[in-house]
Amino acid sequence: MSDELIQIETPFAFNEENQREFDELIGRYPIKEAAMLPTLHLAQRQAGYITPAVMKHVAELLEVTVMKVKDVVTFYPMFFEEPVGEYVIRVCHTLPCALRDCKVVLDHLKAKLDTDIASETNLAKGTTADGKFTLMKVECLASCDVAPVIMINDDLYKNLTAEKVDEILDNL
Amino acid sequence: MVEERRILYEHLDVPDINTFDVFRQYDGYTRFEKAIAEYQPEEIAQMVKDSGLKGRGGAGFSTGEKWSFVPRDIEPRYLCCNADESEPGTFSNRYVLEKNPHLLIEGILICCYAMGIETTYVYIRGEFTLGKKMLDAAIKEAYEKGYLGKDVRGTGLNIDIYTHPGAGAYICGEETGLIESLEGKRGQPRNKPPFPAVQGVFMKPTVVQNVETLCNLPFIVGNGVEWYTEMGPTYADTRFDPPKPDANTGTKLYCISGDVNEPGVYELDLGLTCSELIEVAGGLRGEEVKAVIPGGSSAPILTHYELDTRLDFTSLTLAKSMLGSGGIIVMNETRNIVDCLLNIMKFYAHESCGQCTPCRWGTPWVRDIVQRIADGDGRKDTITRPKFGVAENGRWGDTGETEEIYEDLDLLESVANNIANVDTMTWNTICVFGIAVSWPAVSYMRKFRPEFEAAIREGKLVTLPVAEATVPPEENYAYQQRFIPKEFADL
Repeated sequence: MSDELIQIETPFAFNEENQREFDELIGRYPIKEAAMLPTLHLAQRQAGYITPAVMKHVAELLEVTVMKVKDVVTFYPMFFEEPVGEYVIRVCHTLPCALRDCKVVLDHLKAKLDTDIASETNLAKGTTADGKFTLMKVECLASCDVAPVIMINDDLYKNLTAEKVDEILDNL
Repeated sequence: MVEERRILYEHLDVPDINTFDVFRQYDGYTRFEKAIAEYQPEEIAQMVKDSGLKGRGGAGFSTGEKWSFVPRDIEPRYLCCNADESEPGTFSNRYVLEKNPHLLIEGILICCYAMGIETTYVYIRGEFTLGKKMLDAAIKEAYEKGYLGKDVRGTGLNIDIYTHPGAGAYICGEETGLIESLEGKRGQPRNKPPFPAVQGVFMKPTVVQNVETLCNLPFIVGNGVEWYTEMGPTYADTRFDPPKPDANTGTKLYCISGDVNEPGVYELDLGLTCSELIEVAGGLRGEEVKAVIPGGSSAPILTHYELDTRLDFTSLTLAKSMLGSGGIIVMNETRNIVDCLLNIMKFYAHESCGQCTPCRWGTPWVRDIVQRIADGDGRKDTITRPKFGVAENGRWGDTGETEEIYEDLDLLESVANNIANVDTMTWNTICVFGIAVSWPAVSYMRKFRPEFEAAIREGKLVTLPVAEATVPPEENYAYQQRFIPKEFADL
């Protein structure tokens, strides 16, 4: 992807606080490219998702090609290339959670939010009409002792049942 | 009943143990101080080697031996702490990071001192936001107290620790995948050799250790090698003459989940049996054990015939399975093994990094076969073998014996074995992800074949009683070469 081919509507730049954090980050590594993942996390936190403008800015900061940034963004499931809801709900559905009925939790969330489950290539499918929630299935969240678990943005919720899910969503 | 022996987890539940002052009250950083005051770096490395500590991340490779491969004349050297805990069924590192991060820092400090390392990267999986926050706070405190940074405690050592967030890829738990990811690339594992000990992160010598392995170091230094080796069995490796001791020393953070009454992390000496562990975890939830996964989802499954298997590195390797990261998942009689395998194969199909063709195409193929069987569309066929004999009309001729074959099961085994062959232990992929896929696929299918056959025959998932669903050990190659090793002292 050469730079001319990217449609950039609004350019992206770090705000002052994030720029400070980035300056601190970059000093940790002997090569700039190594700061890729933390920088993308930082950018995603500010912009909501990784737009072409974000990729271009990150590429300039790390002195790599835009293609290289795109390469990394497409590899990792935690980076979104489409807009997501205000709350991203990640439902674990790997074996230990499946043995503890995570399907009940997932079906309940689907019915309650009236949405499908997002796929990695189609996040809009799992986003509610009001843009508040995005529902997605993820692999093991490493909390199998308190299964079934979900993560809403940065917080983990444990030992879930349909009633507990209601309570959590009401308190958001 | 086996007693828990809490060493790494001893002070886990102490309030505010995540702060420097409280950690200090419980001997915090005294082990590191002892290391720098009483021992030379080489002596520490030798102690770790003598302790028989094996890496707790999955491969179970001797930590001391790994350190000995690191060339000490190439600068700089790095330490990568692997906190990318993503193996289904494993959750012990999360608690260390969230509750007792200073213990990890102390372990890192000892490793850095022993190996002459100045920079450490802690690769934390992206979902561990709380763990990263706690560790970052602890690191900041350690800098303030002078245990990190320039000239640590006036010894002239410079040690820095940085946390590095992952972004949700399972493969970054593989050591070279982790290194690639740390360098800001896709987390696709590298060819080995060169091993990370020689050319790792930024192409410099790198020690990659799991959180739990590093947390063992303060106790080895603090209490001595003899104290440490008393815990856990030491076996005799009879391939050598005289037999070489094969140590399984120390405690292990066993993570147990699934159908038990009290799932959680239990710190126990290595070498207890599977049924003992289930008992420690509050007993089985249900009537009967159907199957146990002994070391995270990539480990071959154990049947109810194998519950006497000891959960340590050597015994499980000899039982054709592995301790891996110590994530034990128990399944009771109500579980359908086809369904469980489908869940795991979906995981691997999703997490394959796509670098090697056999894995990229093989994992979705295996998943699709299992999906087909689970949906009731499993392929079967009847074949007629020509056979001469007395036919129905009383004359010699082709008696045409008809046999029902389960085409999909043969296909499943063939595809899985072409990603990585479980019998010869050779893989057609760069990293061991290949074997992590075919191990469960083939072992579930071989050991619970009646249940797979029933699903194909009946056209739907059928959960058979445990005795019927399991292939008994005497008759089947699924359990080949299995034997329980003897302890060294017995020989």
